[in-house]
Amino acid sequence: MNPASAEPLLAGHNVSKYFGGLAALSSVDFAVYPGEIMGLIGPNGSGKTTLFDCLSRVQKVDKGQITFKGEDITGKKPYQVAHMGLARTFQVVRIYRKLSVLENMLLSRQWGGMGVIHLFRRYPKGIEERARDLIHFLLLDPIIEEQAGNLSGGQQRLLEIGMALMPDPDLILLDEATSGINPTLVETIKDRIVELNKKHSKTFLLIEHNIQFIGDLCSRVFVLNYGEMLAEGTPDEIMNNEDVIEAYFGMDGSDDEFDE
Amino acid sequence: MVRLVSFWQQYHLGRWALIIVALALFALPLAQIIVPERKLVTNSLLFSFTQMFMLVTMASNWNLTGGYTGYIDFGHAVFFGLGAYGTGVLMAKAGWIFFPSLIVGAIVALIFALLIGSATLRLKGPYFSIAMLGTFVAMREIVRVIKPLTGGGTGLTLPPYLNRPLFYYVTLIQAVIVVVFVWWLIKHTEFGQSLIAIREDEVGAEMRGINATLHKITIFTIAAFSTGLVGGLWAYQNTFIDPDIVFIESRTLDLVMIVMLGGLGTIAGPVLGAVLLYWMRDIIWANFLQFHLIIQGLVLILIVLFLPEGIVGSISDRSGGTTIGRLWGRYFTAEEDTAPEKAEVGP
Amino acid sequence: MDQFVQAVINGIMLGGFYAVMVLGFSIIWGVMGVINLAHGEFIMAGAYTTWFLSKQYGWEPLVSLLVVMIIFFVIGYILQRILINRIIDRPPLISLLITFGLAIIMSNSFKLVFTATPRSVDTLLSGFWRTGNVTVPVTKTTILIVAVLMMAALHLFLQRTRLGKSIRAAAQNREAARIVGIVIAAVYALTFAISISMTGAAGTLISPIQPIYPFMGAVLTLKAFAITAMSGLGSIPGALFGGIVLGLIETFVATYVPGIGTNLGIISSYVILVVVLVVRPQGLFGGLKPVEVR
Repeated sequence: MNPASAEPLLAGHNVSKYFGGLAALSSVDFAVYPGEIMGLIGPNGSGKTTLFDCLSRVQKVDKGQITFKGEDITGKKPYQVAHMGLARTFQVVRIYRKLSVLENMLLSRQWGGMGVIHLFRRYPKGIEERARDLIHFLLLDPIIEEQAGNLSGGQQRLLEIGMALMPDPDLILLDEATSGINPTLVETIKDRIVELNKKHSKTFLLIEHNIQFIGDLCSRVFVLNYGEMLAEGTPDEIMNNEDVIEAYFGMDGSDDEFDE
Repeated sequence: MVRLVSFWQQYHLGRWALIIVALALFALPLAQIIVPERKLVTNSLLFSFTQMFMLVTMASNWNLTGGYTGYIDFGHAVFFGLGAYGTGVLMAKAGWIFFPSLIVGAIVALIFALLIGSATLRLKGPYFSIAMLGTFVAMREIVRVIKPLTGGGTGLTLPPYLNRPLFYYVTLIQAVIVVVFVWWLIKHTEFGQSLIAIREDEVGAEMRGINATLHKITIFTIAAFSTGLVGGLWAYQNTFIDPDIVFIESRTLDLVMIVMLGGLGTIAGPVLGAVLLYWMRDIIWANFLQFHLIIQGLVLILIVLFLPEGIVGSISDRSGGTTIGRLWGRYFTAEEDTAPEKAEVGP
Repeated sequence: MDQFVQAVINGIMLGGFYAVMVLGFSIIWGVMGVINLAHGEFIMAGAYTTWFLSKQYGWEPLVSLLVVMIIFFVIGYILQRILINRIIDRPPLISLLITFGLAIIMSNSFKLVFTATPRSVDTLLSGFWRTGNVTVPVTKTTILIVAVLMMAALHLFLQRTRLGKSIRAAAQNREAARIVGIVIAAVYALTFAISISMTGAAGTLISPIQPIYPFMGAVLTLKAFAITAMSGLGSIPGALFGGIVLGLIETFVATYVPGIGTNLGIISSYVILVVVLVVRPQGLFGGLKPVEVR
């Protein structure tokens, strides 16, 4: 599937990030186009989550530029890019553990406003309805009143995805959404992503270790290794790319990701 | 409507009970006029209540940052002190009358809160608490040092006040306003809900569109202004201020105890806690005066160990979790790295 | 020029004391994750103990040092078992609240017993050495020497002995240490005991050079924070560095800023604390714990 338009939705130019002397990211260039489902893979420690942190502005970049919807967001704060339509889940889920599933969802909607005074308004109608709809969409109805911290790992990930969807974002960054989840639930997540992508034109960028998942969903994949862009292409191209295979074998010696 | 903070189970009963109590309190001094011979309502009783109203106000203010935003301020009493000194200096040195001095004193506290909050609110958990405690300790010395302005260690004497019921009503009105404000803010505005999100997971909240810095600084400043008002009122009522009676650790101890006892992060908690603490202290003062701070310290330890949710918190917490537990993410465990890190993320 | 040299000497002496004062605080925090807001009060207690021994038995402060250390070791051990043990696995907010309560209890108890009248301790080690216009007080020199010896001893202990290594291991990674067979409870008890012992000793060291009163602790705790913020957790060279920096800053401020003296020292500590926390939160030295980035 080719990019629908020439204008990327999210792009990074020469992005570099250093921690002390270590380069977590080195001159990373990439682009995500509207309507795509794109994959980001790489061995452990290759900088994938760091890249997400930079894209979602949770971390500063040391060099380079990030643009979203054509606008330079390199200097913006996380809540600002959230208002622009970018949403993100975390490698270790960040949900509000002591609150119920419904409350988590209600607290995650778009909080945009025009300054401090506006924040003192009552929150708009329709929020609860939207939250319930999304809970239903993600099959979380049975546990709607459960305390979020009591949910299973998979349910928590689904909840976090739901929370990311509340403000109706255009681009969703999912960080290891299937990690530690049983296969049935993985299928559910996959179906939901496809539906959101096809029916609601949402763009996705997925960090994954589950290569099958990537292969089924993504039109394009790019590979990070040691903070550098190693390869980019379709899932087939990537999986037959020698450098990529070498990186995975060489790094942690495990080849189970490539079992089909 | 999101029921994030439950009052107590019979919600409406609770609300009515409070309204009745508030009305009764408003009517109280009138009893003195209507039945003067009965001596039901003495001046010292009014004085006691005034002190209690001030505690309710300050505790509720403190709870705004501590209980709702999750930033436990160990130096909140610094705003009390700034309000007291702002008012005191204007009255004693510049000859101003009370009300303008009071407002300006509170504005001094507000401005200082803006300045110091911008720096300290970036800090994670314990570091914020410590930085504010340090602010409090340092301010005592700063006030002592700028002698030409503040009278230094010798202090300042304010013109005497004459109208006791005035204080009663002003402090009562402030207490009512503050408690209602907290209730309205938390239950009826986006702002209040955002505070709770920030408390639960600040990074997550930011990622979901909440400008955490703005929220934190705004609520911090509002709380500081309100506490500054209390400081000014206290100063006038006391007619004398010096660094060692204004900036005393026991003020912070009182606030912390009240809110912990009543329930961190609840609306009724600070009110209940203030009432209990006040009368508890009265009893202790009557019988064990020299031990009272020792006992208070001991009680604080016991509360923290065995009743961390406070009374209201334990009754009304449906979720089975604890507010202390809620702050887990912010006040990281001993397992994780405890080196200070900025709470604020991004550029 | 002489004034400058004098300030440097005074600053270093003060700094050496500060360094040893902060060790207990820093170690408890670094190893057990407990922030001891009663730190200054333990110093105060050590100072009062020294004063008592001096008044009652006529002991020189330096002579009481060992006794004080033993007493406070025991106190620390007991305190850890009955109180601190409960708060190690809880959020640090709890340790703040509890040690805050402890600080209030301690300062007011001592006020009750000893009254608020400031006390002072006499020592035979008085007098000065003089070169030109620069004076070097004997007392403070002795304190500096003792402080450095204590730090060296602690450093060797942590690096060379089995218990010391266990403590460092526990600080780095509790679970791993436990797996390897280190008995965490015992390690914590001993760590706390040693730290309190050193803190009490700091009280002994401070007793000849400043008046002793029940509420002297708050300012010392603040200074401990400032130094730890600069130096990182549990780092002995860091504590030395941070202590000397603070000592020099305070001395220079007191020397060159007219008319205000030691009060500004407290303010400088505070300013340092805030500046460091805001600008470089992880301190300047790594210390016992590896610093995670997020």
